[in-house]
Amino acid sequence: MHTQHSARARRAGRRSLAAAVTAGVAVLGLAACSGGTASTPSDSTGGSASGSAGGGSTTLTVWHYFSDANQVKLMDEYAKKFEDAHPDVTVDNVFVPYDQMNSKLVSAAGAKTGPDIAVFNGAETATIALGGALAPLDDYWSSYSDAAQFPDSVIHKVDGKTYAVQGYVNLLGLWYNADILKEIGVQPPTTIDELEKDMAAAKAAGYQGITLCGLPQSQGEWQAYPWLTSQGFTYDSPDQSSLAAGLSMVRGWVTDGYLSQEAVTWDQTVPFQKFAAGGIAFAENGNWQMGTAASDAKFNYGVVPLPLGSDGKVYLGGEGEGIGAFSKHPDLAWQYLTETYLDRQGQLLPVKIVGSIPSRLDAAKDDTVTSNELLKPFAETIAKYGANYPASVISPDAVADVQLTVGQAWSAALGGQQSPDTAASTAVQKLSSLLG
Amino acid sequence: MTTSLATGVAAPSRSPRARSRDRRRPQRRLVFLLPAALFLGIFSLYPLVQLLRMSVSDVTARTLNSPWSFVGLDNFTAGFSSGQTTQALVRTLVFVGVVTLLGMVGGLAGAIALRTRGRWSGLLLAVMVFVWALPPVVNGSVWKFLLGDAGLINTVLLDLGLRQAPAPFLYDQYWALMSVAFVNAFAVIPFNALVFRAALMNIEPETFEAAALDGANRWQEIRHIMLPAVRATTLVLLVLTVVYGFRSFDFIYVMTYGGPGTATNTLPFLGYLQAFVRYDFGLGAATSVVTVLGVLVLAVVYARSIRREEAES
Repeated sequence: MHTQHSARARRAGRRSLAAAVTAGVAVLGLAACSGGTASTPSDSTGGSASGSAGGGSTTLTVWHYFSDANQVKLMDEYAKKFEDAHPDVTVDNVFVPYDQMNSKLVSAAGAKTGPDIAVFNGAETATIALGGALAPLDDYWSSYSDAAQFPDSVIHKVDGKTYAVQGYVNLLGLWYNADILKEIGVQPPTTIDELEKDMAAAKAAGYQGITLCGLPQSQGEWQAYPWLTSQGFTYDSPDQSSLAAGLSMVRGWVTDGYLSQEAVTWDQTVPFQKFAAGGIAFAENGNWQMGTAASDAKFNYGVVPLPLGSDGKVYLGGEGEGIGAFSKHPDLAWQYLTETYLDRQGQLLPVKIVGSIPSRLDAAKDDTVTSNELLKPFAETIAKYGANYPASVISPDAVADVQLTVGQAWSAALGGQQSPDTAASTAVQKLSSLLG
Repeated sequence: MTTSLATGVAAPSRSPRARSRDRRRPQRRLVFLLPAALFLGIFSLYPLVQLLRMSVSDVTARTLNSPWSFVGLDNFTAGFSSGQTTQALVRTLVFVGVVTLLGMVGGLAGAIALRTRGRWSGLLLAVMVFVWALPPVVNGSVWKFLLGDAGLINTVLLDLGLRQAPAPFLYDQYWALMSVAFVNAFAVIPFNALVFRAALMNIEPETFEAAALDGANRWQEIRHIMLPAVRATTLVLLVLTVVYGFRSFDFIYVMTYGGPGTATNTLPFLGYLQAFVRYDFGLGAATSVVTVLGVLVLAVVYARSIRREEAES
């Protein structure tokens, strides 16, 4: 008994040690967390479920990384929905910057704390689950009566265990400024050749061709993937020439003046804000921008599937929702998920507020979805180009590394740091070791 | 005066109680030292030791919260053999060079401008303190906006006809590193100016009056009076500015995220990418150790220069 206790104490000690070390790495040169811009999980409100706050006697803490007004509103609506049904519960939405979400979750797990519910990039489930920050959902999921409503692509498993489920699907499409297209006398493109001709015509008329994200990280990789796959690149068999062809094509848009090289400093939000400000013919961006388009764009606009030919693929992304490994109220957290993100009516909220596509089969057939003209091209994209995010061939340990590698190659080529050939060569060399 | 007074008073014979109190004094001093020592131990020494341990271990997201396996110098060799650490080291040295040069020259220039007392120097001083107090994330975001294609600086350059196209401040591999270094220097200039100013304020006004009587111009005042007066301070500030440049992370994170590609990946940012984006904590720790070693060498130089300055004063 004593031995068991000592062993447990040592394990606990090591975990605390690991958390302290993570903090130490941050302090000593890495300093990743020093630039926090909002309330962080270390705040008193950011811990796991605790005593009373506000009107409720139990507080459920939800960590998320949303800063967009519509996405924040969705979080508030979910909190209100649950609090209305459970007057004794307060839902505390805590903002954590996107780049810090995973490391904060993992370091919190080392200190045996963390949120009750985490809302994070579904593609990064493996990283967070391997860090011990998520509780397996298998017991809940196996007894969940609506489980059959969810396709496999929105259920995130790591080493055979389910850790997160997506309440909606987000993906990329080609937004167009209908007024500009009308002025230059073209229809929305259906092929890359048409897109390039349209961008040339737009440029000749004094407009910019397209905006997209070229940041050297996972957001860049997410936006690069459709164009790279359109030229034959896959993670199943990474080929240098096809990767170089994809990078070369988009670098060509920069040199031809269709795309600003400044894109290498833009995350996914900035290019859409620029598109919504007017003067740009196209934007590669997601369905979640519908709210921004409605509020900011003072012109007629529309969406078509990205013109990717027969090989192109578009990631089916979106936020995964999971229960914190050290939640004090895991059952209540599961109840929160089933009454908000996983609930049929709950899934219609992101459709209305953000423009996301429900992950439930029954909710996807709701009038709210089928009558939305802007959602149709995205639904068409799912059927035509939809791809698992991340690609299933990437092992859980290598996901983050692969995303960074391709994101940096994308940024290097677009920004002219390296030629497309050199960037492709460097990336494929790294990918070969990462993908085995 | 003090000497004659001291020599004129005979030292009183010390009582046994006083001698006993003196013997206890060192222990009492140690008690006062304890909180600071404890704080440093927990928040500096312990993480440093763990960082070293992590740098010679295989630590990933999967193994962070479990026992770490020892891998010797594998993380260091992996960093250098991939070429990433070497490239980042070169970029860091260039970055530090620019930050130090601009930071020191700008700081001294600011101090000379602020040496006189008056409304304008007071206003400038207030603005500099404001810039110094700005969080780097805010400062960096404002500069990112200013340096953008549609930002103020490019608008002015285009309107004045100095450029035909916007300057690629943040998205050309060479401009980006220089731009971020410039912003880093901009942020350190107020601190350097304030420290230089304190040194300049110690110069007796009579010195300047004598120089004026001898016909010295402004430049000669700077060269022959001010520069010698701030020599000791310069060494201390130089070391501090180099350390500041060496560990800079925030502005790169906000303004370029290391891009385009890897063009602004300095050692601290590379360490961040390895540890908190790739979740290879061992590799990130090894890169950080390289950074810490550089800073430690400078810290020793700093400590020595402080000691020398104290001895001289």
